[in-house]
Amino acid sequence: MHYSFDIERGNFADAGQASSSVKRTLKHLGVDPANIKRTVVALFEAEINAIAHAYGGRIDVDIDDGKIVMVVADQGPGIPNLDLAMQEGWSTASPQVREMGYGAGMGLPNIKKNTDDLKIETTVGVGTTVTMTVNLT
Amino acid sequence: MAEQESFFKHSIKVHYDRCQGCTTCMRSCPTGAIRIRGGKPVVSDNKCVDCGQCMKVCPHRAIYIQQDDFALTRNYKYRVCLVPATFIGQFDEQIRTREIYSCLKKLGFTHIYEVEHEVEYMVKLYQQYMDKHPETRTFISPYCPAVIRLIQVRFPSLVDNVIKVRAPFELASRIIVRRLMDEGAARDEIGVFYVTPCAAKIAAVKYPVSKKESCIAGVINMDFLYNKVQLMLHESDKSAQPINHSLSSQDVLWPLAGGEACHFKGSQYAVDGLQNVLNFLERLEDDAVDAEGLVEMRICDQGCVGGVLATNNRFVARKRLEHRAKLFEDRPKTRYERYNNPEFCQWIDDQMAIPEIKPRSIYKLDDDFSEAFKMAERMKKIEKALPGVNCSACGAPSCAALAEDIVRGDARMDTCIFINRHSQASEEAIRSIWGDRVRTKEINKDK
Repeated sequence: MHYSFDIERGNFADAGQASSSVKRTLKHLGVDPANIKRTVVALFEAEINAIAHAYGGRIDVDIDDGKIVMVVADQGPGIPNLDLAMQEGWSTASPQVREMGYGAGMGLPNIKKNTDDLKIETTVGVGTTVTMTVNLT
Repeated sequence: MAEQESFFKHSIKVHYDRCQGCTTCMRSCPTGAIRIRGGKPVVSDNKCVDCGQCMKVCPHRAIYIQQDDFALTRNYKYRVCLVPATFIGQFDEQIRTREIYSCLKKLGFTHIYEVEHEVEYMVKLYQQYMDKHPETRTFISPYCPAVIRLIQVRFPSLVDNVIKVRAPFELASRIIVRRLMDEGAARDEIGVFYVTPCAAKIAAVKYPVSKKESCIAGVINMDFLYNKVQLMLHESDKSAQPINHSLSSQDVLWPLAGGEACHFKGSQYAVDGLQNVLNFLERLEDDAVDAEGLVEMRICDQGCVGGVLATNNRFVARKRLEHRAKLFEDRPKTRYERYNNPEFCQWIDDQMAIPEIKPRSIYKLDDDFSEAFKMAERMKKIEKALPGVNCSACGAPSCAALAEDIVRGDARMDTCIFINRHSQASEEAIRSIWGDRVRTKEINKDK
């Protein structure tokens, strides 16, 4: 099953539609609540990351028999130092973003914690693609 | 509809002679528990959480809450009226509490006991539970039974966040029974009758989540008792003595939105109203709100004064309770030395603990993952094919709900009037949903 959603830069108000929709399907599938939680937490974090930092992008979700693969791809600016970004508490978020309660530097580490597999491909000036996999059964 | 054995039972009933089959209730139900069959609403026991929303929105007053026969009180020598402060909030501030209680006594009650007497101990029970579970960040109050059931069926991943303590009226009823027994009454001589502002609390008394028996003998609807007392007030006893145990100002505010949260440290969220509760739980499930400490949640707007059986306007009732709270400000907040008795405390803790709250997801399509997967895929396709206008002519609240009914085998594609407008099969399907309301006669062309 495939779902896709657009991400608009800076539109925090609309965040969460992808995770809500995915959540509904996972509940229909009878997936264990703990796995549903991991999935939506990771997806929501990735979506917020893209809204806060990127110039817009897209979410593609594929659910097949045993796992869910979520790809959040944006059109830049890319992450200059991925190792730093993976550290808890490291953040380049603007003061405005922090004022909204985001940007604590927990995004990527939190995604890593909640997924079974995490791949991040990033090129400065081109964009970032975050691929997250959660085993559902 | 194919249903497994029901684990919830309810007191919400339909007056079929009043019901017009207008679909208003069905569309407002937060768990999609209602379908129209034979022109009337049919409620799925396992989905209904007794929130009372259907009753609130029904334009024909066709939904009611079944209560126990008032005559049942006569079976007991000690007839206790367990009354929440919400009841007092229904009356004008000029009327003294003792006058209201004197009317209740004239109605045949031997004792009046206020649920909020045990607020102090309820706060202690919550706090004890929270201290014992440092691994949990967000605690959801166990106060509103409709919220707990809503979590069980719609937000099963949050069941572990609910404080596993029984509702306040359970504590008050146990304490009054124990007190009367200490004074020499036999257990079977005592009948505690709880005055309820809503359907959820009736369900919680009759069919508790914990399976532990309630010690409440019967439930009386608040509007019923309000009418009786209102008629009697002109002959109320203005010289009646106040009952010797009196509520403090904080106790009186307890049933209002914010009444619990104010007792706790931390982020102190107080969420009231069905839609707000749904949104907040959704966000909590996504980890999109970081609530540390207690989250108070009431399914009714403004808390219990917004209950479907509370007669008066919720804002008026709120103001009245706040007014009474001001009058009580000089009263002591701590009243019972008994709370310092370890044996007594242990007894309460044992009585009030709930071993577990089971998730009861209403969404799961099949126990087998790959079967559920096939059904979900089909459902997605069907949903796309449906018109998306949510007209409810199919007897389901929305196109998405119809899609789910179809894959579950409870409805057919041709029940959608947009999909199949002219066939005989469609005509029959529509007739099975709407019964006699389907009119076959031709439109009168003469006019």
